Amino acid sequence: MKSRYLLTTAAAFALAAWSSGASAAGKWDGADDLPTNPLACGAGAAETPVSKPYDGGQPTNPPNKAGKEITLVDVPKLIGIGYFNATSKGMQDAAKELGDVKVTTDGPTEAKIDEQIKFIDNYITSGVDGILFAANDPVAIAPVLKKALSKGIHVVGYDANSTPDAREWFVNQAEFNGIAKAMMDSMAKEIGEDGSFAIVTSTFTTPNQARWIAEMQAYAAKCHPKMHWLETVEAQEDNNLSFNQATTLINKYGDKLKGLFGMTSVATPASAEAVTKAGLCGKVAVVGLATPNAMKPYVHDGCVKSVVLWNPIDLGYAAVYVMRADVDGKLKPGDASVDAGKLGKLNVINGSEILLGPPFIYDKGNIDKFDF
Amino acid sequence: MTVAAQAPARKAPRWLARHETLLAVILLVALAGLGAFNERFLTIDNLLNQGRLMTEIGLIALPMTFVIITGGIDLSVGAIVGLCAIMLGYSWKTFGFPLPLAIVFSLFVGGLAGFVNGLVITRVKVPPLIMTIATLALYRGLAEGVSQAHSVRGYPEWFYFLGQGSVLGVPTQLLVLVVLVVVAGVALDRTTFGRTLYAIGSNETAARFSALNVDRAKLIVYTLSGLASALAAWVLVSRVTTTRMDMGQGYELDVIAAVVLGGTSIFGGSGTIWGTAIGLAMIQLLKNGLALTGVKGDATIVVIGAALILSVLVASSLQRRRD
Amino acid sequence: MSATAVAGAARARTGGLRRFASQEALLAVAVIGLAVVVGFINPRFLAYRNVADILLGNAYIAIAAVGMSMVIISGNIDISVGALIGVLATLSGSLAVAGAPTIVAWLVPVALGVLVMAAQGAVVAYLRIPAIVVTLGMMSILKGGLISVTGGKWITDLPQSFHLADLNVLGVPMPVVIMALATALAALWMRYSASGRAIYATGGNAEAARLCGVNPQRTVVMVFALHGLFAGIATLVYATQLRVIQSTTPPGLELTVITASVVGGVSILGGVGTVIGSTLAAILIAEITSALVFINISPYWTDALRGGLILATVIADIVRRRRRAARGWKK
Repeated sequence: MKSRYLLTTAAAFALAAWSSGASAAGKWDGADDLPTNPLACGAGAAETPVSKPYDGGQPTNPPNKAGKEITLVDVPKLIGIGYFNATSKGMQDAAKELGDVKVTTDGPTEAKIDEQIKFIDNYITSGVDGILFAANDPVAIAPVLKKALSKGIHVVGYDANSTPDAREWFVNQAEFNGIAKAMMDSMAKEIGEDGSFAIVTSTFTTPNQARWIAEMQAYAAKCHPKMHWLETVEAQEDNNLSFNQATTLINKYGDKLKGLFGMTSVATPASAEAVTKAGLCGKVAVVGLATPNAMKPYVHDGCVKSVVLWNPIDLGYAAVYVMRADVDGKLKPGDASVDAGKLGKLNVINGSEILLGPPFIYDKGNIDKFDF
Repeated sequence: MTVAAQAPARKAPRWLARHETLLAVILLVALAGLGAFNERFLTIDNLLNQGRLMTEIGLIALPMTFVIITGGIDLSVGAIVGLCAIMLGYSWKTFGFPLPLAIVFSLFVGGLAGFVNGLVITRVKVPPLIMTIATLALYRGLAEGVSQAHSVRGYPEWFYFLGQGSVLGVPTQLLVLVVLVVVAGVALDRTTFGRTLYAIGSNETAARFSALNVDRAKLIVYTLSGLASALAAWVLVSRVTTTRMDMGQGYELDVIAAVVLGGTSIFGGSGTIWGTAIGLAMIQLLKNGLALTGVKGDATIVVIGAALILSVLVASSLQRRRD
Repeated sequence: MSATAVAGAARARTGGLRRFASQEALLAVAVIGLAVVVGFINPRFLAYRNVADILLGNAYIAIAAVGMSMVIISGNIDISVGALIGVLATLSGSLAVAGAPTIVAWLVPVALGVLVMAAQGAVVAYLRIPAIVVTLGMMSILKGGLISVTGGKWITDLPQSFHLADLNVLGVPMPVVIMALATALAALWMRYSASGRAIYATGGNAEAARLCGVNPQRTVVMVFALHGLFAGIATLVYATQLRVIQSTTPPGLELTVITASVVGGVSILGGVGTVIGSTLAAILIAEITSALVFINISPYWTDALRGGLILATVIADIVRRRRRAARGWKK
């Protein structure tokens, strides 16, 4: 008996050792393997997006609600995190401005696609006019969204896309390669062109994070080839777990680790806290995506120089405006731009995506102006 | 335990003269109430759709009833769902199996996973709770390791028939579930196998001394639990058209809630498939009805938790009074 | 319950120190052995900083596992502890931010934890609803309720004095001190006090316990209340470590705590196990998590390996126990 399970444990270790060797060279852990499209190196280089023909889906015989009041539901990846609280607030702001839109935010308490599908399904049955979503999985969410379209319900996505044919429009906060460039350039500026860094992400199966890491790798290969990726760790969306993982990385690499990337609004403050607790403020850079409030203490301490994000309030705001324009017929397949209230005109890119704008960098100078 | 003497009486269902009837009444009352609040609730369309959505949990709840009747538990079912989903996609894409073979392979993996649970529980005598907590972690980890966090998508059209299609207006997977509910219910009520399960749950030592093959029965129910999880994985992948290593996360608690709500005692020795079916329907319809009435997700969770405690409380105190 | 369990419970009360020492010894050996092995591969693993961080970052799990072990030894289980800790952490942070004196922000959540758990214990003991049902339902209520009330808004701006976990006692960080104290006091109490031993008796064979003068119902309520106390203390360590409190349920926490108890040798059949075991197990599991990063195991396989190691430990524990029981009967 004893020898049997000793043998299996040994086999397990062998397997793991082999597989870790296999993944050592090649793509960074946590990246997906979709094609990448790195931007040009150097400051201010943003590629003009190629315009593609419209590739979104369309609702079947939607009732004509142009100019009339519409009821929308917003189903984010999960509720209960600052980021989606902010997008929800933006939506409420837009609804108040427009006056003829009612929007409710409702969703699962954990980022599970199965739960999210059930939420959307219930709202289809209760007959909303439009659904706004941020998908936990782009392919898995498609069947239920297509069902919504087939029942004449308008579907607009934001933050995390679905397959294009499952929604009419997708409000994209920033291009994946734009985020990747901003992150890598920020890190290079802080740790130098031959610095080593590690990545703290949520899970390897979160689509946006996986895309960003893949684009970061492509961009780094192109513009910062001497920078050295050490490893990527998963930390769910949990503060304590992220903190522990970041601490482990700091302890493991010691001086070799010059920078940490935080890929979620949970991972970044936790990494900053780990660096602070280890007394390495200023010696280990922390660059990542996060909401301002969580990062204020670290930015003020000088531990974190810049926080990359976009304005999620604006993202939610734009999503509602896009939905309203879509319902009113003011935004049609083939249009090149849409009017988004106080955000002005937003461009349509990639066929059916609406771009919010370039990534926004929060730093010591401006972070106090925001409260989310 | 005094239950041993009463076990023969409880096995032959005297036409649901107990917990199940009570539950069915509560279910009907809840249906009527929710239907009154919201006109879209009691439509055929909605009810059939709910049937479609509850199939994965329902399939797993059937052998879970068996498992709990024997006094055991299986917390690894959700992880087995994830593992089988991954294996389905992985063997199709990476091994190059033709899709039907891939499906069979994933069913085999599920059965094997359940079999391993049963083997260690019966041979090494690790208590089921402990064993399945450990395999919960192991199987989920295997799903992640094998898949390397990749999803497999792009299945041929016929594959989606199970999860998204309908036969004569009834969702395909719901038909499968109904058939299996009947099969499981008959197996439990009317076969020697079923009686063996009750005997094991009531008094395992006595069952052994009665020359019942306790170990084999346990092995069978845990294997069935793994198989049902694999079947649920197949339905799920067909329904959402992709595989993810985190599929099935949290299923174990939903399944146990349905089984326990249905009147199966967690201590073993009593319970029926019909009760489980009602418990399953009740939870699904309650969630749906609340959502349609405009109650948001977080409040719905609170109501479900309270409803679970209350129904078990009501049903068991009334039963005690009847006894 | 079966005859072997009664015998086990009896053995637990009488000079069973050697019997218990084995799983604890196995765990202690594993903790040290793993440290040595990984230390060879990457010496930084043994640096004071890393060892301290492993202990500090996971002390709250060990503390919560002390209470959970008591619950399991008494023959019950609790699935609501994760959600409860989430609620108590949010309460604690909210009180601190609202300007309440720090001591209030610390003590009120602990008191609430005791109350909530004791209530569950009462339902289990007196209304005779199985613990798994009550705590499953309560978990839902707490989880949903927490989001409903807070909307998931993070608590930032915590006052400096709030951070209990940052304090030191004679140079030893507070979380470690609390963990050690909680474990030691609980272990002593369960071994040497009548009410402590009543827990083993209730879990081993409630009927026999009753005949021996133990009140199983009161014992169960007491156990749950104590579990609430330790959950509250664990919350204090958990919530005061970082500068942000997520107002959500920490995902998977209840399973982690139960796993620590189970790996620590606490048997779900009741009547067996110690809190020393669960604390050592919590440390071991945290150590494994860190070790898997240190020795460059592919991150895609770390969870599988950890699961496999947990399984191996659990099987080893049962095999060892059965061998001992077999030898015991031969006498």
